Amino acid sequence: MTGPTPGGEPSHPKPANGDMSRRSFLRASAAFATGVAAVAAGLAPLRKLGDYCSVDEFLQKHYKELTPDEMARVLARIEREVERQYGIRPHVRDYKPMNGVEFVYALNLTRCVGCRRCVHACVAENNQSRDPEIQYIRVLKMPNGTLDLEKGDHNYAPAAVPEKGFFYMPVQCHHCKNPPCVKVCPVKATWQEPDGITVIDYNWCIGCRYCEAACPYWARRFNFAQPSIPREEINPNMSYLGNRPRYRGVMEKCHFCIQRTRAGRYPACLEVCPTGSRKFGNILDPDSEVSFILQNKRVFVLKEDLLTLPRFFYYFDI
Amino acid sequence: MSDEDKKTPFVLALLTLAFLGLAAAFTWGRSSAPVAPPIPAPPVPKPTTVRISAGQLMKSGGDTSGLACYTCHDQANPPEVKYDAEHRVILPKEHSDLIASMKNCDTCHLTKPVKLEYAGDGSVIIPKAHEDWLIVSHGRNDRNVNCYNCHNPQQLDQLVTRDGTKLRLDQATLLCASCHGTTYRDWQAGVHGRTNGFWDRKLGGITRQECTSCHDPHHPTFPQLIPLPGPHRLHREAAAETTNPP
Repeated sequence: MTGPTPGGEPSHPKPANGDMSRRSFLRASAAFATGVAAVAAGLAPLRKLGDYCSVDEFLQKHYKELTPDEMARVLARIEREVERQYGIRPHVRDYKPMNGVEFVYALNLTRCVGCRRCVHACVAENNQSRDPEIQYIRVLKMPNGTLDLEKGDHNYAPAAVPEKGFFYMPVQCHHCKNPPCVKVCPVKATWQEPDGITVIDYNWCIGCRYCEAACPYWARRFNFAQPSIPREEINPNMSYLGNRPRYRGVMEKCHFCIQRTRAGRYPACLEVCPTGSRKFGNILDPDSEVSFILQNKRVFVLKEDLLTLPRFFYYFDI
Repeated sequence: MSDEDKKTPFVLALLTLAFLGLAAAFTWGRSSAPVAPPIPAPPVPKPTTVRISAGQLMKSGGDTSGLACYTCHDQANPPEVKYDAEHRVILPKEHSDLIASMKNCDTCHLTKPVKLEYAGDGSVIIPKAHEDWLIVSHGRNDRNVNCYNCHNPQQLDQLVTRDGTKLRLDQATLLCASCHGTTYRDWQAGVHGRTNGFWDRKLGGITRQECTSCHDPHHPTFPQLIPLPGPHRLHREAAAETTNPP
């Protein structure tokens, strides 16, 4: 009989009539099958590749190197991706910083009642993952008479707030003028914009989490899992550097609602605050609310000694 | 050909199939890795931002406590308020979670003058409509609870400041300002109270609130609110450590 000659080279002399022995056939076919299986197993992860990284995305340049034409193509591609994944056609835009604008946030700790409306307005506005849940703002419940952050508790869940003897201190990204997170990024995926917002290019981030470790305010969040957002809760008004859905394995954080504030609006956390504790505006405008606060209130910043120079100010008043 | 020779191709074919089957099982078995069980999420009441319309908000069972009426309603075209036989406001079903207090007196009392009725012993009879809501607790130790500190004794729907200036009910902000000057200064600068809309006034307008839109003038301290859920707890042990277990 004449057996099929396998791809592998027979490692022993062939029989004189050109046929191979049963032993050599078995050995060769076993080696061949193992080889095929090993190659298939090795390439198996590639089959999943199409789900989260297209060729265009893989070859995309850094945000700052994109020409307007390339940016338009990137935005169209992201819109398609979001539509395929979440079943809703979003409007992704690339909002540019305005001239003569530097954003500053001020928060009145006397007025904050710790109701966490801001936390969840932020989740809704910025398309954060609902499962596992990611929140940009942490509200610390602090005992009266101290600013020792170690005495703060962010897991409080009483029946009603505010509780007697405590004050509440929301903490989010402080958009520092001297940001430690930007210094440590090994790939320059995060940087400070001219209007003071520290942003992340989610397509450039490699997920090393150095910035999370460097941030003294615990403001950065990591996507351990593929974010999941119910279709009806997607906010279709998206921006490239802001609230478009993130990928698994990238960092994200508060970006002062870039899609709202660069269009002249207030951020979502401010809009929803029932007590009006949150104030936001342009510090370069002498008539803005934040200018009034910085001129007339005794403001302080968190962890001043670290010289991060935050753009997020706290104050008490009566 | 011997019998053995006839069997050989079958055995070889079987063995080849077995190897390929093993290879396939090996390859596909790896790709269908066990799916991690989903992390249980805490029940999250739907929050509201301005991008959600009132209709969407009601449908999603949104938490409307703590929001000003005109966050959703149009101030120029306010909804009709219904009263029962004793002039109590009937709250619609979708507002059953509302923490009601008396604000914006002038919405009712600008068109309906207040007439005081007195009991036999000379005390004021509080109308049924205000029975549930009227809590007089003004001042740090409830020391400003005398009606005529702010109301004109001759005409209760008229406000009067310490220096005798008479004000309409819709001018309540000026009455508050007569004592709370520093707060009024902050409010004028846009620093006290809610401001919604656009920080860049060139691009759009803003909505400001009067004192009595947020504060019940008889009980200016805010009612307590139900806090929304905090950060997600991944571990039961960590959840057990919390100072205030849910």
